[in-house]
Amino acid sequence: MRARTAVVSMLALVGALAVPSVSAQAPDRARVLRASADALGMVRWSDIGGANTRLPGIDIINTMELVGSGTSDVNGRLVKTDYHVALGYNPAAMRVEMTRTPDGGAAQHTIQTVRETYAWDESQMGAGLVPGKGTATPMNAAAQERLLQLWTLPYGVVKGAYFAGEKTAVSTEGGATVLTFPLSGPLAGVTVKATLDARNFVTKVETRPDNAARAALATETDYSDYADRGEVPTDIKTPGHIVRKQGGRTVLDIQVKTWETNDPYLVFPVPPNVKSAATR
Amino acid sequence: MRAHSRIIATALGLACAGAALLAQEAGGPRTVNAPPKPTGTTPRTADGHPDFTGVWNGLGDNLNGVPNQLANNGIVIESATAARDLHSGQAVTVFPRNTTRPLNNEQAERAASLLRRSGSNRPIYKPEYWDMVKYNDHNANEEDPSNNCMPAGVPRGAIPSYIAQYPNYVFFVYPGQGGLIATQTMYRMIPTDGRKHTPLQELDGTYTGESIAHWDGDTLVVDSWGFNSNTWFDQIGGYMHGENMHVVERFTRNGNTLTWTATIEDPDYLLEPWTTTPRVALLRPNAMLPESQPCSERDLAHIVTKEHH
Repeated sequence: MRARTAVVSMLALVGALAVPSVSAQAPDRARVLRASADALGMVRWSDIGGANTRLPGIDIINTMELVGSGTSDVNGRLVKTDYHVALGYNPAAMRVEMTRTPDGGAAQHTIQTVRETYAWDESQMGAGLVPGKGTATPMNAAAQERLLQLWTLPYGVVKGAYFAGEKTAVSTEGGATVLTFPLSGPLAGVTVKATLDARNFVTKVETRPDNAARAALATETDYSDYADRGEVPTDIKTPGHIVRKQGGRTVLDIQVKTWETNDPYLVFPVPPNVKSAATR
Repeated sequence: MRAHSRIIATALGLACAGAALLAQEAGGPRTVNAPPKPTGTTPRTADGHPDFTGVWNGLGDNLNGVPNQLANNGIVIESATAARDLHSGQAVTVFPRNTTRPLNNEQAERAASLLRRSGSNRPIYKPEYWDMVKYNDHNANEEDPSNNCMPAGVPRGAIPSYIAQYPNYVFFVYPGQGGLIATQTMYRMIPTDGRKHTPLQELDGTYTGESIAHWDGDTLVVDSWGFNSNTWFDQIGGYMHGENMHVVERFTRNGNTLTWTATIEDPDYLLEPWTTTPRVALLRPNAMLPESQPCSERDLAHIVTKEHH
């Protein structure tokens, strides 16, 4: 328990010390990252009420919630799927709720959650936090795969590229701008390659692990149809179509209905039994 | 919240005194929102306690503009290249201002709404209330209990605009705001004479509850219970509570600064106690409290989107 806490704290500290500002980035890298962050609506400042204040802009993306539907892979077959995701970057956490209904079969409901190095399945939202209110099943071995979904979202890509600093490379492939950078912390050893379109939106994200034992971390995700989909308008652009592949096979194909970006109240407390399981 | 023109005008009006003061002290526009560094000595009363008497920012610190609200909610911009979340310690990426593209009112207000919310220090509610909190914040134009000229309550009032300190009690004044976040004037008379709380079951719930105070070294500790459930913890977030809420506020004076935090317990709603991000106010030695503006809700009927403060 203490060791895990120390590791998480250390990662947070490393992150705190390592994040470079835009001006500290190489010119091309800084320009490309800023353009992408601007396109997505991640950069904000406001002078309201600050008569003689001129603060720089900051990255305001923290919590988000999206709802969509489509298909997902169940034992090699794509089945109808209702998709609901709550996520946050501070702390890094994600809760993926899916209701999958195979043709002629009964609906299967799952909630898969991750926060930093902890992962667990919930029998209901927030299970395991209040005695008698649902079951939280520790799934800590799945933490990396679940975190990867968070960091391969367009906002995770831009944040991750900033975190990587000088390790982020900018190149051009087929006329498109490409960012390549290593992930860190629990996802160290995974390399991200992100392709931007002419409007600087992230349209394709590929991940490659450093060894075959982590093959599940080899993914390819396509994002398209960007728009502001929040009921509360924020000018943050979100993709309307997400297609994720693993090993060349489509595992998720979702049309997004709503994507709330106004930092909604989404929390991810770790159930006590999940913390305990991590120490054993 | 409210029509944009009114938001801008009111926020600017309410904030200019405090913000201008800070800017003048720094010798130019502020480019950071880190808490002001204390200067001067801490005066003491005849009984040896720090003397909190005075006008603190002249206006409720909640209303001193987005730069301060950002700090209140835990994002501190320390320089043109560094910012961090106070609660988690996580770095926040900083970007130069895009001066070729000035913000219009709508952009500034949308940005303000996001800037105020992006911090990580959030109370952890029991899971059955997660959707309700989210709904409250999402629909704050209609749901915020302070929007219809009601008191902000405790702990939302945060640092009082004026404190008078006497040997056996302290007196807090929170002037009402007539425009943005329209709230009623609020005051609290808090004994420091060692008396105990009235049993909770004997109290009728009120907006400020029953408060008693004691000294913990040089820190004034204000302990309150006996609340109604008609207030939120803060201007943002939709953080509701029940009648069993217990709030412990800690006030510390250091030179010309006053630091405030509140720890909130609510066994009916919260999974665990929640402590607010520390807020820091500056003493304004020669300031007088302004007249409270009449509070009259006029904008709600004209709001056509869910955008809000």
